[in-house]
Amino acid sequence: MGKFKILIRNYPFIAFIIAFCILALVPSVIFTDVYQSHLATLIFVNIVVAAGLNIVKGYCGQVTVGHVGLFAVGSYTAGTLFLYLGLGFWVTLPIAIVVTAFFGVAMGIPSFRLEGPYLALATLGGGEAIRLFIENGNFFRSTFGISDIPTPSLMGFNFDSPDRYYFISMTIMIIAVYFSFSILRSGIGRAFMSIREDPICAAAAGINVKKYKILAFILSAMFAGAAGAVYAHMPPGYIHPNNYTVIEMVTFLAMVVLGGLGHIWGGIIGAVIITIVYDLTRPLYKYQLLIFGLTIVLTILFMPKGIGGFIDRYFLEKRFKKKTGTEKT
Amino acid sequence: MILKTKQLTKSFGGLKAMDKVDFELKKNEIRGIIGPNGSGKSTFFNLVSGIYDSDPGSYIEFDGHDITFTPPYKIAGYGLSRTFQLLRLYQDMTVIDNVMAGYHTKVPYSFIDAVVGRKKIWDQERAIKEEMMELLSFVGLADYAELNASELSGGQRRLLVLARAIAMKPKLLMLDEPAAGLSPVNVDNLMKIIMQLKDKYGLTLIIIEHILKVVMDTCNTVTVFDHGQKIAEGTPSKVKDDNAVIEAYLGKKMDDEEMRKALAV
Repeated sequence: MGKFKILIRNYPFIAFIIAFCILALVPSVIFTDVYQSHLATLIFVNIVVAAGLNIVKGYCGQVTVGHVGLFAVGSYTAGTLFLYLGLGFWVTLPIAIVVTAFFGVAMGIPSFRLEGPYLALATLGGGEAIRLFIENGNFFRSTFGISDIPTPSLMGFNFDSPDRYYFISMTIMIIAVYFSFSILRSGIGRAFMSIREDPICAAAAGINVKKYKILAFILSAMFAGAAGAVYAHMPPGYIHPNNYTVIEMVTFLAMVVLGGLGHIWGGIIGAVIITIVYDLTRPLYKYQLLIFGLTIVLTILFMPKGIGGFIDRYFLEKRFKKKTGTEKT
Repeated sequence: MILKTKQLTKSFGGLKAMDKVDFELKKNEIRGIIGPNGSGKSTFFNLVSGIYDSDPGSYIEFDGHDITFTPPYKIAGYGLSRTFQLLRLYQDMTVIDNVMAGYHTKVPYSFIDAVVGRKKIWDQERAIKEEMMELLSFVGLADYAELNASELSGGQRRLLVLARAIAMKPKLLMLDEPAAGLSPVNVDNLMKIIMQLKDKYGLTLIIIEHILKVVMDTCNTVTVFDHGQKIAEGTPSKVKDDNAVIEAYLGKKMDDEEMRKALAV
C-alpha cells in the first residue's frame, strides 16, 4: 500500500481537504455562467439532505416521508429569525440546526412503536403538518413568502452572488459529508444497520434500539436543518411554503434510492444526478413527478441497492474471484 | 452461580408458558435443555435474555446482577449472549459486519470521538476488524467475509450466528438449537467448534437441542421442560432413564415383550 493511501486511511479528513481544494477550483475552471453556480449550490443543499436521509432511512431502516418538513423547519427558523430579529447567516445556521434536531426527536418518537408503511404514514403526517402550519397564518408570511434573506458575509467579504455563495454551500456540504462518513463508518453505523436488519437481535446483542433510533432521527434532522438554512440564505434569499411539499420529498427519496440505500456515498451520488436531471427536465415540468416516480420504481426493481451498491458489487465479485478462484453468483 | 432464576413465570393470556421454574447454573458448566415443542425452552431463553418481561414474582439473577426487569441491551452488556432458533442474521450486511455488530458492547470509543472521526477511532476499528477476522477464520468463514450474509449456505449461517454471538466475549452463551437442520457430519464439526470456543474463551453454555446425541455427549447436566415446568434435572444418563422424561419427550419405553409384539405386526 502506498504511503499516501495509509495517510488517508489514518486521517480521512485529509481526503476531504483535498476534495475541498478541487471543488473550490471548479467554478473558475469549468463554469461558464452564474446559473451553473446556482445549480451547484442546489446540488450541495440536496447532498446534505440526502446524506441525512440516508442515515435514517438507508442505514437505520426507518421509513420517513416527513423529511421535507424538517428541511422546512431549518429554512423557516433561519427565515423568521431574520424577519423578526434581523439575524444573519452565522447565527441562524446553528440555531436552525438545534431547532430542527428537536423536531427530529418529535418525528422519531413514533418509530418506537411503528414500522414500515405505518411509520411512513406517521412521518408523512408530521411533515405535512409542519408545512400546513407554516402555510396558514401570517406569522410566516405564507402568502408572499419571506424574501430578501441576506447572504452571509465574512470579514467584510459578502457572498452575495451565486458564484460567491457557492463557497459557503460547498463548505457546509463537505463538513456534512465528512460527519456522515465518520459516523457511518464507525460502530454507530453498524448499530444502525443491525437495527434495520433485525431490531430484536440487535437488542440481544447489546444495542439500545430506542436510543439509536432517536439518534438517527436527530442526526438526519440536523443535516436537514443545516441544508434548510443554507437554502434560505441562498441568493436571492426567498422561501415559500410551496417549496416544501410532498413533491420535494419524492425528489429527496429518489436521490437516496437511486444512489443506493444504505450505501455510504449513496445519497451523494443520487443528489448530484437527480438535481441535474431535475434541472434539465424543467421544460417538461408536467412530467417531472412521473419521471422520478418511475426512477424509484425501476431502481428498486432492477438495481435494489442503487448505483452505489451496483458498483460495490462489481468490485466485490472481482476480489472474491481473485481470492477463491471461483465464480460467485 | 452465574445464572439463577426463582419462581420464573410467564403467561400469555391464560397459557402458562413458564411455570415457577427454579434454575441454577454454575460457572463453566455445559447445560443441555430438552423438551417437546412448545414446552417453554425458547420462552426460557427469551425471559432470561430480556426479550420478554417475566410475570411479577419472578426473579432472575445473572453474574450478581438482578436482571428480572432489565432491558435486553443491558443484559447483553453484563455478558450474556444468545443465538436465536430462527437465526435472525443481519441478511443485508456483510459477514464481517455481522460479526463486528456483535462486538458492539465492547466498542471502546465514545460517540463524540466517532463523529469527529479522530485517528484513534480508525486504529481501534482496524484492531476490532482484525480480531473479528481471526474469529471468522476460526469458524472457517474468513474467505466469505465480504459477502452478504444472505449469500451463505445453511451450515455457514449457523457458524456465522455462532461467531456473532461469541464476538462480544460473553460469560454465558445460550444456544437455541445450534445444530437444527445440519447433516450429521456438520453437526459433529459444529460441536467441535463450540467446544473449542468454550475452552478458548472460558464460556458457560446452555444448549437447547433436539439431537439427543449432542446433548448426551457434551452436556454435564440436562434440564427437561414440559408444559412450562421443569420435570427433571440431572446427569444425561440419569435423565435418560427418568420415567417422566420418557413419557413426555423420548416416547414410551418398551420392554422386550412389547418390542417383539410391535415388530411382529
